[in-house]
Amino acid sequence: MIISKQVEFSASHICRSPLLSDAENERIYGAAANPMSHGHNYLVDVAIEGAPDPVTGMILDLKELKEILEDRVLRVYDHRLLNREVDSFETVVPTVENIAIDIWNRLAGEIPLPARLQSVKVHETRELFAEYRGEA
Amino acid sequence: MTVRIGRRYGFSATHRLFNPALGEAENRAIFGKCANPFGHGHNYEIELTVRSGVDPVTGMAVPLSKLDTLVEDAILADFRHRNLNEEVPAFREVVPTTENLAIEVLRRLHVAWPGTFPAAVILEKVRIWETERNICELSNES
Repeated sequence: MIISKQVEFSASHICRSPLLSDAENERIYGAAANPMSHGHNYLVDVAIEGAPDPVTGMILDLKELKEILEDRVLRVYDHRLLNREVDSFETVVPTVENIAIDIWNRLAGEIPLPARLQSVKVHETRELFAEYRGEA
Repeated sequence: MTVRIGRRYGFSATHRLFNPALGEAENRAIFGKCANPFGHGHNYEIELTVRSGVDPVTGMAVPLSKLDTLVEDAILADFRHRNLNEEVPAFREVVPTTENLAIEVLRRLHVAWPGTFPAAVILEKVRIWETERNICELSNES
């Protein structure tokens, strides 16, 4: 069984790779390549897989999950310029794909057993999301 | 690393749920007010889920401009502000329910996909919202 919790953060980013020319960056990322940055209200769905505990009826303690998300994700991401203020994005472009992978990496070892992280789905806008399930 | 990208598109169209093989009363019983003879409209939303590896340079799994162009040309251009029953040949004989709309969308994507994306970029599913409460999901892999 899967339980999913949604959290929100607001952040700015610049989709621009130093390995590409200005023209290539603008062709690939369009307006998102603006070096002055732009921002989104991101929604993150964190799905946890497990069996409900026979006593509590819960897959995991949601208060504990909330604290983990606060400490490992929101504290790092909320109201930041991701390129400058989140170390994962020093050399990696903070596309919505890479944000989903980075949040997965921050959470995967933190979920109390026997529950496990199943999916991290990051909605950048209403029209665009990326989901990572830890697959190679 | 394999990720799933979801991209949502909107279009507005008219449809009428009515099967001429059934009688007037039967259509009314099955489709209710959706069988009204003059048709009615919705703001539809289509969401595609695409599975792919992430390009290490761009950080992107799917070039969104390519996906947007494909969806515009293969689907939206034919559906936007149309009467689906009257103006989309697939629905001359087939009732344009959300289910059949999803099947037609997937069929069109099957035709256009190989010329646009390499085999490693996999269309995983299509979801269509007819209203906020009516959603049809069609997996491409089952």
